[in-house]
Amino acid sequence: MKGYQKYFLNKLSWFLITFVFAFLLNFILPRLMPGDPVAAIVSRVAQGMSNTSGVQAIYEQYARLFGTNRPIHEQFFIYIGNVARGDFGFSISQYPRTVFDVIRSSIMWTIALQFPAIIVGWLIGNTLGALAAYLKGGFDKILMPVSIFVSNFPAFGMAVILMVIFGVALEWFPTSGGYGFDLIPEFSWKFIRSVISHYQLPFWSIVLIAIGGQAIGMRSMAIYELNADYVKYARFMGIKDRKIIGYVFRNAMLPQITGLALSIGTMVGGALVAEIVFSYPGLGYTILNGVMGQDYPLISATTLIITIMVLSANFLIEILYGIIDPRIKAAQAD
Amino acid sequence: MKRYTVTLFSVLMILSMVLAACATPTPQIIEKTVEVEKVVEKTVEVEKIVEKTVEVEKIVEKTVEVMVTAEAEEGTLPRNETLYFNGQQWNPVVGWNPYSNNNNNAMAIAQQDNARVIMFETPYLYNMLDGKQYPLLADGDYAWNDAMTEVTFKIKAAAKWNDGTPVTAEDVAYTWATAVKYETPLAASNKDFIDTIEAVDAQTVVVKAKLGDDGKAVNPLQVQAYLSTNYVVQKAWTETLEKRANGDAAALLADPAEDVAYSGPYHKFFADESKVVYVRDDNYWGQDASMWGKLPIPKYLAHTIFKDNAAGSVAFAKGEVDVSQQFNSNVNLLWESYGLPISTYLTDAPYGIGASLPTAFFNLKAYGLDQLAVRKAIAMAVDYPTIIANAMTNQSATFDQVPRSLMNPTAGEQALYDREAVKDLQWAGNDIEGANALLDEAGIVDTDGDGWREYNGKKLSYVATCPAGWSDWQAAIEVVAAAGKKIGIDITTNYPDWGVYQTVVTASDKDLPEGYEIFMMWSDGAGPTQPWGRIRKLMSSEFVGMASNWNGNWGQYSNPDADELIKAIPAESDPAKLKEMYTELVKIYLSDVPSFTLMYRPQAFHAVNETVWTNFPHDGDGTTPPVPPLDLTDGWSIAGLYNLTLVNP
Repeated sequence: MKGYQKYFLNKLSWFLITFVFAFLLNFILPRLMPGDPVAAIVSRVAQGMSNTSGVQAIYEQYARLFGTNRPIHEQFFIYIGNVARGDFGFSISQYPRTVFDVIRSSIMWTIALQFPAIIVGWLIGNTLGALAAYLKGGFDKILMPVSIFVSNFPAFGMAVILMVIFGVALEWFPTSGGYGFDLIPEFSWKFIRSVISHYQLPFWSIVLIAIGGQAIGMRSMAIYELNADYVKYARFMGIKDRKIIGYVFRNAMLPQITGLALSIGTMVGGALVAEIVFSYPGLGYTILNGVMGQDYPLISATTLIITIMVLSANFLIEILYGIIDPRIKAAQAD
Repeated sequence: MKRYTVTLFSVLMILSMVLAACATPTPQIIEKTVEVEKVVEKTVEVEKIVEKTVEVEKIVEKTVEVMVTAEAEEGTLPRNETLYFNGQQWNPVVGWNPYSNNNNNAMAIAQQDNARVIMFETPYLYNMLDGKQYPLLADGDYAWNDAMTEVTFKIKAAAKWNDGTPVTAEDVAYTWATAVKYETPLAASNKDFIDTIEAVDAQTVVVKAKLGDDGKAVNPLQVQAYLSTNYVVQKAWTETLEKRANGDAAALLADPAEDVAYSGPYHKFFADESKVVYVRDDNYWGQDASMWGKLPIPKYLAHTIFKDNAAGSVAFAKGEVDVSQQFNSNVNLLWESYGLPISTYLTDAPYGIGASLPTAFFNLKAYGLDQLAVRKAIAMAVDYPTIIANAMTNQSATFDQVPRSLMNPTAGEQALYDREAVKDLQWAGNDIEGANALLDEAGIVDTDGDGWREYNGKKLSYVATCPAGWSDWQAAIEVVAAAGKKIGIDITTNYPDWGVYQTVVTASDKDLPEGYEIFMMWSDGAGPTQPWGRIRKLMSSEFVGMASNWNGNWGQYSNPDADELIKAIPAESDPAKLKEMYTELVKIYLSDVPSFTLMYRPQAFHAVNETVWTNFPHDGDGTTPPVPPLDLTDGWSIAGLYNLTLVNP
């Protein structure tokens, strides 16, 4: 256990160091963008305003409020204070809402869309990839080109195609929104049905693309493993195919699991394309707006969440690897 | 075994799609005999705050064509009581505070030339079609005193807040006093020409203009405009808000004001990330005979939040939006090719009434652009019909129909200048020969044979620009660049991000950097101070030197003659004299070419889908005063809400 403890501490210290740097970058990078976020607010407020000194006064008022007129180190301490308070300060693009409030109202939509899509895409993709490697023949010959074709589809194209076919032409599914345009959210079958129906197109537009990529990855890993020496040796030993397949897929799965963890870590970033094409509520579009409006607090908060999720997912995977695959622990603990 | 798994997955995929498809029944029209209970007393929980008793209208037994979807039930907005909009609200609503101006609550809070008055109300309503201000909270017309230093108007006796208390002159005065005290945007934009607003008695308001050294009002035009631009907020609620904010201006402006008092016909029903819904207040004071005489027709106003124009257009075509205020490209195809019950204010191009003048500005300090011949040649060579056809899909009048000046295409503004006097100056565009001749004559020719003209030995090379992603503007800028190539001036295009673009363009305290030689910005639309306000923002040198200039004259043009005329117009009331002054300004503008208009753009795009509602404002619909093609919520266009009828009552 000594070796494992060392391995664990090693990983933990890297986790903390990375986190500190990521935290700093999350703060600094958005503020290095050219442009001025307060100008965007003023442009909104000053529409139809005709006197000269008034616009200037408003500009200064908002610059004071968001602290953009202060030196960057002072802004950093304000930021830390906001993070510590938990609300991340006022959002610039959606002022007077706090960043916490902005994120809270759309994060559930994003997770509800992304998490199942990632898992389903991963499961289907890996199963298909493994089957292609194992069954070979006709199945592989069809699956492989189709997977390459679909996985290279731009997400935008896939979303629009699904919308045109199933939304506009066949009218099977609604084309926009998270629920019916004529509904008010409440706990009723009607509302739930509407949510499910609105969910389909954005969901499949993500899943279909994910399947292809996962299948290709899994197929090549599995083919590689199927031809490994230990497989041949096991065959000579007369071990049953089913048993061998078990070994093979456990080994082929390792990189795929890393990929899955990273996808889950970054899912909070949102499915931007699906959100825009289907006007689906979620964080992706909120973040895009934040970036366009140079909403520093919002960008910093969302990237911080993504950072923490990715780091944690990585950390967990590394810890799990230490348990699953003793070779990794041994190599790292040296 | 594995084969079964594949089959299973495929079946699951198809099944889930089919099942979900069954979830929402497609509406179909059938003949159905409807039997409805006579009068129902129904308790509806509104917003979980108040319990409200609603009386459902009496409906008699008859045979009708009905849209059969699921039954109207709680949690559903009845389609034939709800008017749907798009194009105004692009992000979630963040507040209900009329002092803030920054609540991203476009339908409820917009204090502008055509102020949106569904929730908060202005004393007067501006009508862009006839240029007049009609009383809303006010009783009768306002009156200037003889010295033109103060305006007096009365508040209607019937005007009430939602809590039943009367709207008083004191409310008007206190709204202004609060704005001044906390330096809100309202005060910032008006305190240069309004001194005080006082309540003489419960009904009478006096607005005292700020006076110049000569003892005359600094700007009577803008004092008048205040009356139809800015809301009256309840004094009692304001005091509550002040207490809550503890006298802190930032806290006062940041307050989401969910408890705000309002005098308008609608208020918050529901708002989230996907939509905002307003519900009618059936006790609205405006049903008094002294105002509308009835309630506005739709019980709910709803605005779905779309993420881009494309999504909004699809929903509009599907009948999920009744009034579309966004730019629907090739809007005419919706009825010509798809046969949808969609229409615009005018049946033919330009489909709407142009109000603003999207304009290309020259950086007048850029090399060669300080030469009139270069500026004028570029402006003459531009192919405007192509801009109007491509960028605006013909939703703009052409410069043959409305020759260029400083006026928008409305009849009122066109009558303000003498077209004959400036006829020789109004270029129609696409005049390559004329442009080339002009440059040759000025001695700006290609001396080194590379195909590009030089001025003093240096090649004329510019960047034309507008914000990235503003597709209609980008299309226009491409046409400007193409014109340069035809006359030997090298114009390339570049599209910076809006965040960068706005910072550069509005910094009028410095010279514009390289890459901003020809750039696009907007101009004012229709309003009570127009065309004066627009002309000022296109030509007045008072904006040169401003650190964040959100007004205009971004090319930093300066002409003392123009400045003098702009200063004199607000105090002038003689129509003949005004016409002379405006004509002179047009002459200066078209001679100096500090900037040039690329197209006409409506105040608000206005297209309607008449699947559910009908009797929307159309040209020649016989309304007096005419209801303008805006959003049915802003300025006098709210009158349109009282005229709507159902297609299938």
